[in-house]
Amino acid sequence: MSLLEVNNLKITYQTAEEDVHAVNDVSFSIGEQDNYGLVGESGCGKSTIAKTILGLLDDNGEVEAGSVRFKDRDLVDLSEKEWQDVRWEEIAYIPQSAMDSLDPVMTVGSQIRQAIRKHRDDSKSKADERVAEVFEIVGLDPARTSDYPHEFSGGMRQRVTIAMALALDPDLIIADEPTTGLDVIVQDKIINKLLEIQDEVDSSMLLITHDVGVVAETCDEVSVLYGGKVMEQGATYDVFKHPTNPYTMGLQNSFPEVDEFDKQAISIPGSLPELTEEPTGCVFRNRCPFSTEECADGHPPLIANGGQMSACYHHDEAEDMREAATDAETWGIDVAEDRETSGDTGDVILETTDLEKWFKQTQSIMDSFRGAEPDYVKAVNGVDLTVREGEILGVAGESGCGKSTLGEVIAALQPRTGGDIQIDGTSVDDLLAESTKKFRSQVQFIFQDPFDSLNPRQRVKDAVAEPLKIQGHDKETIDRRVRETISDVGLNPPEKYLDRRPAQLSGGERQRVAIAQALVLEPKLLICDEPASMLDVSLKANILNILREMADKRDIGIVYISHDLASLTQIANRLAVMYLGEVIEIGKTREVVRNSKHPYAASLLAASPKTDPSIDRQRVLLPGEPPNPVNLPEGCNFAPRCPKASEECRKADPDRSAFKDGNHEAACYLPVEDVEDELLSSYARQERPEIQSGEEETIEQLGEEA
Amino acid sequence: MSFRRFLIKRTAIAALLTLIAVSIIFATLRMLPADPFSGLVASGALTPEQVAEVRAMYGLDEPIYVQYVKYIQNLFTFNFGVSLTQQRPVSEIITPALLNTLVLLLPALVVTAIISSLAGMYAGWNRGSWFEQSSIVATTVFRSVPNFVTGIFLLIIFSYGLGWLPAFGMRSPLANPSGYLDTYLSWNFLKHYTLPFTVTVLYYSGDFLMLARNSVVERMGSEFLMLHRAKGLSEMEQLGRAGRNSLLPLVTYFALRTGMLFQGVVTLEVVFAWPGIGRALVQAILNQDYPTVQAAVFIMAVAVIVMNLVADVAYAKLDPTVDAGDV
Amino acid sequence: MSGYTIDTETAKERLSSEYDRAKRTMRFVLEDNAAKAGFAVLVLFGFLGVFGPYLAPFHPIEDTLQQGGSTMRLQSPGGKAILGTTSYGKDILSQFLVGARPTLIVGLFGGVGAGVMGFLVGLTSGYFGGRVDEFLMRLTDLTFALPFLPMALVILSFVTPNIWLITAVLVVFLWKMPARVIRSEVMTVKERTFVKSARARGAGHMRTMFLHVAPNVLGIGFLYTAYAVGWSIVAGASLAFLGFGDPTTTSWGRMLEQVFRSGSIRTAWWWVLPPALGIAAVTTSVFLVGRAFEELVNPDLQTEQE
Repeated sequence: MSLLEVNNLKITYQTAEEDVHAVNDVSFSIGEQDNYGLVGESGCGKSTIAKTILGLLDDNGEVEAGSVRFKDRDLVDLSEKEWQDVRWEEIAYIPQSAMDSLDPVMTVGSQIRQAIRKHRDDSKSKADERVAEVFEIVGLDPARTSDYPHEFSGGMRQRVTIAMALALDPDLIIADEPTTGLDVIVQDKIINKLLEIQDEVDSSMLLITHDVGVVAETCDEVSVLYGGKVMEQGATYDVFKHPTNPYTMGLQNSFPEVDEFDKQAISIPGSLPELTEEPTGCVFRNRCPFSTEECADGHPPLIANGGQMSACYHHDEAEDMREAATDAETWGIDVAEDRETSGDTGDVILETTDLEKWFKQTQSIMDSFRGAEPDYVKAVNGVDLTVREGEILGVAGESGCGKSTLGEVIAALQPRTGGDIQIDGTSVDDLLAESTKKFRSQVQFIFQDPFDSLNPRQRVKDAVAEPLKIQGHDKETIDRRVRETISDVGLNPPEKYLDRRPAQLSGGERQRVAIAQALVLEPKLLICDEPASMLDVSLKANILNILREMADKRDIGIVYISHDLASLTQIANRLAVMYLGEVIEIGKTREVVRNSKHPYAASLLAASPKTDPSIDRQRVLLPGEPPNPVNLPEGCNFAPRCPKASEECRKADPDRSAFKDGNHEAACYLPVEDVEDELLSSYARQERPEIQSGEEETIEQLGEEA
Repeated sequence: MSFRRFLIKRTAIAALLTLIAVSIIFATLRMLPADPFSGLVASGALTPEQVAEVRAMYGLDEPIYVQYVKYIQNLFTFNFGVSLTQQRPVSEIITPALLNTLVLLLPALVVTAIISSLAGMYAGWNRGSWFEQSSIVATTVFRSVPNFVTGIFLLIIFSYGLGWLPAFGMRSPLANPSGYLDTYLSWNFLKHYTLPFTVTVLYYSGDFLMLARNSVVERMGSEFLMLHRAKGLSEMEQLGRAGRNSLLPLVTYFALRTGMLFQGVVTLEVVFAWPGIGRALVQAILNQDYPTVQAAVFIMAVAVIVMNLVADVAYAKLDPTVDAGDV
Repeated sequence: MSGYTIDTETAKERLSSEYDRAKRTMRFVLEDNAAKAGFAVLVLFGFLGVFGPYLAPFHPIEDTLQQGGSTMRLQSPGGKAILGTTSYGKDILSQFLVGARPTLIVGLFGGVGAGVMGFLVGLTSGYFGGRVDEFLMRLTDLTFALPFLPMALVILSFVTPNIWLITAVLVVFLWKMPARVIRSEVMTVKERTFVKSARARGAGHMRTMFLHVAPNVLGIGFLYTAYAVGWSIVAGASLAFLGFGDPTTTSWGRMLEQVFRSGSIRTAWWWVLPPALGIAAVTTSVFLVGRAFEELVNPDLQTEQE
């Protein structure tokens, strides 16, 4: 008996210019106590479906056809009044961004209490009891129910929304990207909590996400959506172990495992379909390497294939396609020569020694009168790095570890407070003193947010030409180099793009323009701060490949900063892991990943979800959160959370060379030998409610400069 | 930054601003080419010797810096000196005028803040509705037409045209009330009160309405309202939350507006011959009665600075998400 | 200091694209009915401001209307004086037509001056932040604290008011509002990636400020300039009404002062209505058009995604 049945659902949004067919003929059903996953990229219609099940569709959205049957009643035609009874009582919701989803001027406790008392005639104190109860279930300190949302960290806020969803024991919980935007370790803990709770209460869950790994590890059944259509549907194990639809294969390619070093990053060419008309052929055919003429004859029906159903005319060739899909050339990507052999020994282009960026905290007036030493947030604290020509150095770490600050300090976008930076053997100070222009022509930066990295008023050609104009090149040179560079970043033919404005470009194209802006000056060093993290997964690999190519062909040294470990291992020759402003482990990517020595680095690398459903992974339940960066513990920063920490670790901060094996260094007295035994299983044993100060202060947000 | 530090800093800035403001007032008035007594000499009413005597009496013969120091000292002890033209202490002129202005404006401001804000929230919630469109256009008209023009329109219609309400002053010329109760709680007073009160309410309605409406519109697409809706809250309960979240800018704005009150009423008081501080000021300027001008302008400046401070503090105190240092 | 100048070519291209944008914006604003009406009134007002004096049948001050040998005092509309006469026998229609020009001059120049000054102060303050910002913002606090009308009255009481002096006084007191709003807007834009990106590409402060930040707050700048025009008209009229206007010219505010001071307000509705309606219509129109424009440029009101 299924709890929720979605049948032939069709949803259209009306916009001023045209209609958008967001969901086309989608059907699926969720059984009692089932975990069901809807997976797909942005614009595939997954959130629209979730909103429809909650009756929260935007005013311009309309259910054109189909039904949503929940416990044998159709939800589509409910009045707003009837909806108010269904919501939360029967279907609860865990929103996408817990950051913005809690009412900022209401304590978290009263927000949950409000949900309870809206539906039950409970007294205030009875409701409060329940609030305390659900707080404990999700691992939050019940004493904190009277705190405001901003007093919680991101991960804890997500726990609050989960607690809220549990308050009334609903039959169905819809979780819309519940872990997107969280760091991997926090994500792992949240997912663990969700699954644990589900074992105890008997609700079903509809999980909506773009992350194949998260679905593969949590859901029994799954629908893969693309362009408002179900592409593949069935048991999660079958769908991801033996995908039969080319889109599923492409999507899976976009989520490489952390330890897949040799694979070229593979993206799906082209961009997402515009859904302004009902699809006349297979929605994926323009990007599909296996498409034939047949594929234009209407979207293929879902046909059973083994354990699952697939919407593909070529479902009978699934096995061949599967094999071909792992080859980058199938997807139209030129395979670069093996990078391990492509020589990593150019000249040193960047060298930092003991680099520091401390932010001064404001102190009380009395203290500053007394001349007391102010507190500092040590965003970057004693970092030594080298980057050679043609080398990509990956910098990994969770949000707030100081990696972005490090990048901006190296690029002189923020002044440093200590240590030295040498570019090509010359100190940055000398370079800047000589000429800012000259420095900028050697060191360039690529920012995270492609949607905001271009001036909306500037055409592509002006945007790319601007750095050259600043350098004072003549018009001909500018024209030539702009064209060359735009073509180099894969925007071909350049003429097509020169006169466009940012609003006329997709996210992937915008980020390429931003890269062109940086490359047009032919810099020696390029610093990339999460350049692909806001792009759809299927487009991410494009950016990685361009950067890799530039490093190889132009001999640029690249510092690639990211929280996404899989893309780091795909692109970086060497990898540095940061924790609280320090590089705690560094070495060849392969060695750092396969043979992590620092307990934190090892935990971080073990926390990524696996897309292969047959792997049973031990979750990383690392207790606590990074401590307040103002009052760092004495000794090793990680000691308070480390199961291996000894007296020595708590007293003296280990040097980075505490462990040394060739170029592989780790700041740890007791290097890890076996991740599972030494760390993961002991985390699991000591898991307890998070009862420490909720002050979350990411380093980037803090204070005045020292 | 701790709240105390924030408060100390803000107060210090406010004090400094006050000092600069009064200095500018002082300088402006001393830059005037003449004082009223020179006029009297020219007209032959006084001999130069007599003028010198009077000037000495008012301390006008002392060096400019001595005058300045005395002036500052006096202001901060609320000793405003003696009126040049009315031969009585300035405070005797200013205090009742100030009171009359407050009686007129504060109730009007409170009324319009509450009604217009609620209407604005409702309008924002029903974006695109008939109510929204018409309320915006109506209040835009009221806030853009200068209040003395609105006053003149109302006078023509209700006083001169229909003869329902009196046009001038705060009470009938013959009435001679004793005590505050009699002054402010009589039928006669109420009739005089109605028109200026209405003009003030209408005049300030636009700002509060637009501010409340914009704040609610801003929050309408927010995730947290979506979650409230998903929890099953009714439309009105959701609007309540949106309104609560919009309260902060409104409270701040109310404080700022209160500080600006005295400045905005000069023309209004003139039109209705309301014996308030604005009218007293205009008369003092016309009569070149500088001690009174100084006092009135000082009070207006201090009101703005103090209410600015109050607004800042209210903001820091009322918003749980704002660290005092961010303000 | 790395203040690279802006090349003329770039500047020209920018200006032409801004012009295109302005046209599109205008079309959008005029979809709003209230704004449409307001716009029509403003066009008419502009026309009166320019051609009013040539249309007036009489001189507003020098010509005293006579009928049968006696002065036509407080004549109600009709006959020679289409809109009636004042208590001195002056033609009200002529006064109304001529009075539009000073109102327009004060409003336009005062408003545009305040808008431009506020824009520059706000841009500088928000862009550089720190001490520059602290100083400029305390300066605006100060202009807020000094009561505008009383201070203006004091100044005008010892200098003979003329229209340009009044305009200058208005600019000095009105730049604060645009400055504050532009500053907070600039502070948001400044944090956007493309501004940081421009710096990383080597752009100097001037280039970043005027080519990357300024165009993205220009909309708000125009809006507050429009509002400042409205405030200027109101302020100019208020000064004239209190008797501190330019005594040599006829303006709508001065007409109201005369009818009010002469006591004729009790009876001579034909004398009151033209200037009162004129002021009311023009100020209302400015704000109605401005409000429709605000719906477009205020980023907080954009709930729908692009």
